Amino acid sequence: MDFTLTDDQQLLRDSARTLLTKECPEALVRACWEDPAAADPLWAHLAGWCELSDGPLVDLCLFMEEAGAVLLPGPFFATAALYRPLVRALGDDPGDAAGTVALAGASGEWTVSADAVRTFVLDADRVSRVAVVAPGPSVFVTDRLPAAEVELLDRTVRAFELEVPASPAGVRPIDVEALARVVDGATVALAASMVGTARRMLEMSVDYAKERVQFDVPIGSFQAVQHKLADMALDVERATAAVYYAAMALDATDADRHRAVHAAKAAAGDAVRRAAKDGIQVHGGIGYTWEHPLHLFIRRAYTTEHLLGTTSWHLDRLADLLLG
Amino acid sequence: MRLAWNAEDEAFRQELVEFVDAHCPPEALAWGSAPEADGDGHILPAWARAWQAALFDHGWMIPAYPPELGGRNATPVQTLIYLEELARRDIPRSLHFPGYAIVAPSLLEYGNDEQKALVPAAIRGDTVWCIGMSEPGAGSDLAGLSTRAVLDGDRFVVNGQKVWTSYAMIAQQCMCYVRTDPDVAKHKGISVLVIPMDSPGIEVRPLRHITGAEEFAEVFFTDVEVPVANLVGELHGGWRITTGSLAHERGGLWVQGVARARHAAELLGVVAADRGLAADAGVRRAIADAYQRASSLRALGYKGFAGFAQGQAAPEHSFMKLAHSELQNDLYELGMELLGPFGAAVSDERADGGLWWRRFFTTFASKIAGGTSEIQRNIIAQRVLGLPRG
Repeated sequence: MDFTLTDDQQLLRDSARTLLTKECPEALVRACWEDPAAADPLWAHLAGWCELSDGPLVDLCLFMEEAGAVLLPGPFFATAALYRPLVRALGDDPGDAAGTVALAGASGEWTVSADAVRTFVLDADRVSRVAVVAPGPSVFVTDRLPAAEVELLDRTVRAFELEVPASPAGVRPIDVEALARVVDGATVALAASMVGTARRMLEMSVDYAKERVQFDVPIGSFQAVQHKLADMALDVERATAAVYYAAMALDATDADRHRAVHAAKAAAGDAVRRAAKDGIQVHGGIGYTWEHPLHLFIRRAYTTEHLLGTTSWHLDRLADLLLG
Repeated sequence: MRLAWNAEDEAFRQELVEFVDAHCPPEALAWGSAPEADGDGHILPAWARAWQAALFDHGWMIPAYPPELGGRNATPVQTLIYLEELARRDIPRSLHFPGYAIVAPSLLEYGNDEQKALVPAAIRGDTVWCIGMSEPGAGSDLAGLSTRAVLDGDRFVVNGQKVWTSYAMIAQQCMCYVRTDPDVAKHKGISVLVIPMDSPGIEVRPLRHITGAEEFAEVFFTDVEVPVANLVGELHGGWRITTGSLAHERGGLWVQGVARARHAAELLGVVAADRGLAADAGVRRAIADAYQRASSLRALGYKGFAGFAQGQAAPEHSFMKLAHSELQNDLYELGMELLGPFGAAVSDERADGGLWWRRFFTTFASKIAGGTSEIQRNIIAQRVLGLPRG
């Protein structure tokens, strides 16, 4: 397998990084805590980038990795990684609308459900379209539905619970494999964002370890701190590789793709949890304050770890594939 | 980014597969499932010698080298494909790595004409080499070595002791790191000598390691005389020659370890089924986690290779040794655990003939030799992350 980025992919990553660093500073993320509408001007910048979801998953992942590093708020993930691929899988044109997907039932698991409710519907109060997955499997697309927020640790990732309409119009069957491809793609894209979040926590921790002086030396010269950071870096690198391997495997419809998706989300989970826990340990007391940005990353880390299947959930699915 | 290599490279793979199918001895094909698959320095079986010579003669020993050095001028991607194919079937190309992997590239880069002439036989395996590096007082701190070589006219006189010297019992030559100047900074007083192992004053004592095998030895030097012409590179310039491996294969050094880890993770499923544990939720999750680590590490190897092939510094490689040696150690321990009461059985067939404990033990060495896991973490922290030295 060839991990070399094409010139276009390199350009994509660099322009995404430049744009997101400029347009999504910490102040914007904090503003979204108070008012989700604070992200609306940013969304205007990003709507065009949603077309990435029509190309190779690798490209979308390159963008999502950068998005995770700046804690991007707003409906980009729901629209580009969930709604658009699902509508395309139905053979329709998703248009420019911001949309989301309602799949998980009352249990919260992202598997087809016959329940009367859908949970963890992202950004359901601000998108204009909702694609609801129903038994069959089948899908119907509606305008926004009334939804109640399930407040998550990271207030910039907004999840909702809604009731499935009793007799919806326009219910259409969807191929099981096609639906799986949408969920797999979204899972890998989310894992890419987790890699970005973990990498940023690693960078913050390395920078802090170089600056912070105790006992007259930078704490980053202590072996105990160095080894923590080395292990964080290893997990981040491993997860990066696992995510892009899974994206390539999905793009190529490779036989290993389902295993690769579970491994990617689990590896990203390992990386983001270690970066969160050891990152705050390296920062010491300052990392435990509201004022320091680290907690925003820790909240994003654990929020994304619990979305679309935890590490353990994916390991259990992987075990099913390996052991029957 | 894409999964497949191009058609020309896949044709290279096909040619290799055909060669292996036609020439590989059955012992080499079965090597992966042999409990003792990590070599016994006492013995170099005839099949292994013949196989290495055949690889050399057909240009498959070190593909990136020219034909006169047992290769075919292969590209980096082709070299990776070569390592992949051998690893996929767990076929060893040689049972004694020092000659082709360390001595050959070192002599080609630093040796004089006479020393360079030793290289083909080292790669073909006609000459068995050992490397005199570690000493009782110089392990992780290799530059602290104290085996002394005193220049006396047209010869060096060597006194001292080496340890953990693989294959010393059967080696004809030793590439030996010695202290030639004790009065300067420790890195600046080291030289490298080629020392024939039949020189008077050399004594080899096999060292039994924890699996019980005698793979390496202690080597004692007492007033051993070595001609000045056997100095490799510059006097006191030996520290530069600690490169340790084939530069053009460094991009793929992880391949075998990672393939073994993936294979072991798959075997764990078989062990779990045999032991009636296939439905145990904890066992299932542990096996899936092992597989996940192996498979993401494999991807990391390829990611690093992409940078390596483009001539970039590839930080991924600093991670590979650390990660796959620790992963393998954990995997084999998990295998022992799944065997339950038979996990500690030495060679019982209900314990896969002792494969799990033996490999668990041998992978302790992987976490120590060639730079311990702790040294690897120091390297990552300081050279990759740029943290200050303590």
